[in-house]
Amino acid sequence: MPSPHMTLSADDLAPLPRTEAANTLVRPSLSYWEDAWRRLRSNPRAIVSLGIVVSLLLFALVGPLVWRVDPAQQDVDQISQPPGADRSATVAAPLAPWRPDGRAPDAPVLALDGAATTQAVRLVWGPLPGAERYRVYRNLYPAERGQAFGMPLAELSGQEVRAFEDRLDLRPQTWHYTVVGLDARGNALPDFVTLPVTLARVITAADAVARGMADREQDLPPGTVVKFALHPLGTDYLGRDLLARLMHGAQVSLFIGLCAPLLYILIGVVYGSLAGFVGGRVDQLLMRIADFVVALPFLLFMILFKIAFGIGPGESGIMPMLVALVLLSWPASSRLVRGQILQMREEGYVGAARLLGASSPYLIARHMLPNTLGVIIVTLTFAVPSAIFTEAFLSFIGMGVAPPTPSWGSMCNEGIKSMLEHPHEIIFPALFISVTVLAFNLLGDGLRDALDARMRSRE
Amino acid sequence: MTSSGTSLDRAALKQIGLLGAGAIAAIAGLMYLLAWAADSTGTGSAVKPAVDPTGRTITLLLREEPPQLNTTLATDQVSSFVLGHVMQGLLRYDIDGRLEAGIAERWTITETGATFYLRADARWSNGSPITAHDFVFAWRTAVDPASASQYAFILFPIRHAEAINSGARAVTELGVRAADDLTLEVDFERPIAHFEKLVAYTTYYPVNEAFYRSTNGRYGADYDTLLYSGPFMLTRWVHGAQLRMEKNPHYWDRESVRLDVIDFPYLTEDPSTQVNLFKDGRIAMTGLSEQSLEEALKQRWHINRFMDGSVFYTEFNHRPDRVTRNRNLRLAIAHALDADELVNKVIKIPGFLTGRSLFPSWLQGVDRTLREEYPVPQRTPDTAQARAYLALALDELGLDQLPPLMLLTGDTPLSARQAEYYQARLKSELNVDIRIDKQTFKQRLAKMTSGDFDLVAAGWGPDFNDPLTFGDLFASWNLNNRGRYANPELDRQVRIAQASLDPAERMAAFGAIQQIIHDDVVIFPEFERGLVYVLHPALKGVVRRAVGADPDLTRAYIEEG
Repeated sequence: MPSPHMTLSADDLAPLPRTEAANTLVRPSLSYWEDAWRRLRSNPRAIVSLGIVVSLLLFALVGPLVWRVDPAQQDVDQISQPPGADRSATVAAPLAPWRPDGRAPDAPVLALDGAATTQAVRLVWGPLPGAERYRVYRNLYPAERGQAFGMPLAELSGQEVRAFEDRLDLRPQTWHYTVVGLDARGNALPDFVTLPVTLARVITAADAVARGMADREQDLPPGTVVKFALHPLGTDYLGRDLLARLMHGAQVSLFIGLCAPLLYILIGVVYGSLAGFVGGRVDQLLMRIADFVVALPFLLFMILFKIAFGIGPGESGIMPMLVALVLLSWPASSRLVRGQILQMREEGYVGAARLLGASSPYLIARHMLPNTLGVIIVTLTFAVPSAIFTEAFLSFIGMGVAPPTPSWGSMCNEGIKSMLEHPHEIIFPALFISVTVLAFNLLGDGLRDALDARMRSRE
Repeated sequence: MTSSGTSLDRAALKQIGLLGAGAIAAIAGLMYLLAWAADSTGTGSAVKPAVDPTGRTITLLLREEPPQLNTTLATDQVSSFVLGHVMQGLLRYDIDGRLEAGIAERWTITETGATFYLRADARWSNGSPITAHDFVFAWRTAVDPASASQYAFILFPIRHAEAINSGARAVTELGVRAADDLTLEVDFERPIAHFEKLVAYTTYYPVNEAFYRSTNGRYGADYDTLLYSGPFMLTRWVHGAQLRMEKNPHYWDRESVRLDVIDFPYLTEDPSTQVNLFKDGRIAMTGLSEQSLEEALKQRWHINRFMDGSVFYTEFNHRPDRVTRNRNLRLAIAHALDADELVNKVIKIPGFLTGRSLFPSWLQGVDRTLREEYPVPQRTPDTAQARAYLALALDELGLDQLPPLMLLTGDTPLSARQAEYYQARLKSELNVDIRIDKQTFKQRLAKMTSGDFDLVAAGWGPDFNDPLTFGDLFASWNLNNRGRYANPELDRQVRIAQASLDPAERMAAFGAIQQIIHDDVVIFPEFERGLVYVLHPALKGVVRRAVGADPDLTRAYIEEG
């Protein structure tokens, strides 16, 4: 680059007058933590993950205080409801016993006796030619000759019995009922009668009061429209509120997910720094013990602890799970810390501090721990998702929580059985597990970047 | 990597998106690779069709593995199904469920005894003839107290059987003899009205003594430690994985057997697996669960329904150290539970009938059904009454709060759901805590026998077509009375039902037994089981029956075309 011609005079070389500005630091001095936080903040993935982790904690701890629904409360009228299902029902009188004698028509038609409600569908029909007895079907589709008639509900016992009361799992939807005549050997005859029936959801006043939908039965004359309890995320296979179960499940999952890693990493840090700092034969011995522990199978020990704790069937296996996790998972973190300490022991600044007369406790507190803290915290954040996953897996195979206590893993186990029919029962718990594990992993990733002291000089 | 400013937000998202797409593509690729690898290696993974007309082979699944196949010890329905195909007794059932000649060609029954004339051409699967001695040996083994057979009671109509079983007499005194190789003579303890029906049952099947001794106590533990007398024989039994039956070439009626192989390569109780196997054409028959029923409707399969005749109930533990021995507590629980709601809202499978009694509704009485002649009083769910009984029970037991009750149940999804429903119901109605003990079938039977439960989800299928198959269940000497209920009056009525030849007197005894069981809340009846199932359209001749092996495939065939 061509530079302009320049001449220097003596004035140019005179020193500047002393000012305060020269002593003022342009950038504020940053401590290690301030710098780490600054870098973490500039990592959007890590910040979003941190937000998710905090909201999960709030969800698990504050959620049940806000959403006061018992996670074990069953509602057999709202089984496997998806989110946003219609909740309205009409108040009706209690179901009276039915006397169908003489109500069947004479013409070969299928007819309803009374209104079709979710309490009961009462069918009567006229005689079909040649029929010795009748079989009643119910289907999603209109009946067609040669096609399947759907699910067989009942086979009636004689020629004269031409009435049937259906009470099986009635929901507000349309069913196509079909009645087929059978010959003496029980073979189906070609003739059939069919009728589409749309069911209205009803509830008795007493039931409505029992469910807290109204205060007094007198307030609910027949015909009043009432609303069932709200289930924002739907209900499971026994009509239990999915949101409440997810919240209580989060408590179990996060308890294991946070307690177990905190405990075993603490053990690992103490153990590893002892081995690394003392070194020599002690180090050798301690590390061989750690190798031995690594070789122990987790699942087997989990079962052994369950027996040793005297935990019988039907009781929660969370405590043995915690103990097994803590007692068997620490070697990884202790090896990591030992390696760091061994390396650091040979560093110049440690030697210098020792020369200046620093005691061992001072060296550990002032130099060793702060320098390994980054590694420890990162291990911790990666250990959390793996512990959550372990809990979910163990509860999935039935080794974890005992019913009715929910956990995300056991909810997945229940939900997978009806995955095709009611996908919301598995999607929600699975989503929570995935999001939690992902959030902790991304947060750990961000923390690793932020806490690595060597990254400090790269900006 | 470091990030600063908003432009990197987008970069991060893009990165995540790319990684995600990459991962999905990699997994899809891996699946194709694995599928290709599975197809191209060996025959083991190749999909076999559910019915194969050329090999006359059908493929089915078994819900559970039989615990063992020694006929003198078998108690469960899976064993009964398998044994019903590989073994045969003196008599067998025809397609319509009537008794017909089996190993015995003809027979005569009098008030004091019976004589069976065996077929000369009946052979074991190793070719040796089936003789009257094989029956004598089998029946002696079953009543021998040393074998501890839980089904010994079914032989008690034979003279001295009960005394032998209790150790009072020697096994050789059993009232059964081989007059010659082909003539079997039986003496009765007392006149019996239904002996014919009994001899078609599993415990009455023959056992070859020489072979039994050669197995060193492993008889029935594996496919090669059994000799077969029935239409099929086991040719493979991988424990916990699969079974295979092939036609028995020495079976006397081999012309009537139209299948060569019945293969059971799948052993699963998971209803969605079962229905997926059927959907993929890998099995020829499957039962449907509440969940798979909707799938079956959408697939427009022809759904069949069948009542298997069994009743299910919650059995209480009546042993002295259990709180459930208290009658008021049992009454409280019986009033808190709702069998109607259980059947219609929780189980949701068509064909289930609400349980009212130990005796199912299909049993014949004198003229009409037993339940029509002796109607059972109904107990309706009633919270207030349940709580009152609980207060009485706590008072009698001297407790402030009931300890948690142990509910022993099976490990199928349905029994788990039912147990959780009970748990919540008893908690909300009575504030009683229930601990659920889910066990495999084998383990559940073991725990039932040792009495390690307060409540147990139990069931009983008929062994022969007479109310007595249910009626003597809670007799104090019956080993299947797992709760050890003992009531002299009930025992007395059972004796009447066993000994009397007068149908009216017998039915009155059953009516009395039913009343005692209801009044004393020996059990809480839940339901009579109905089954819904789908069949491969080419598979014909499958017989479903309440009494005997079910389903019966001994006369099944594959329709060509």
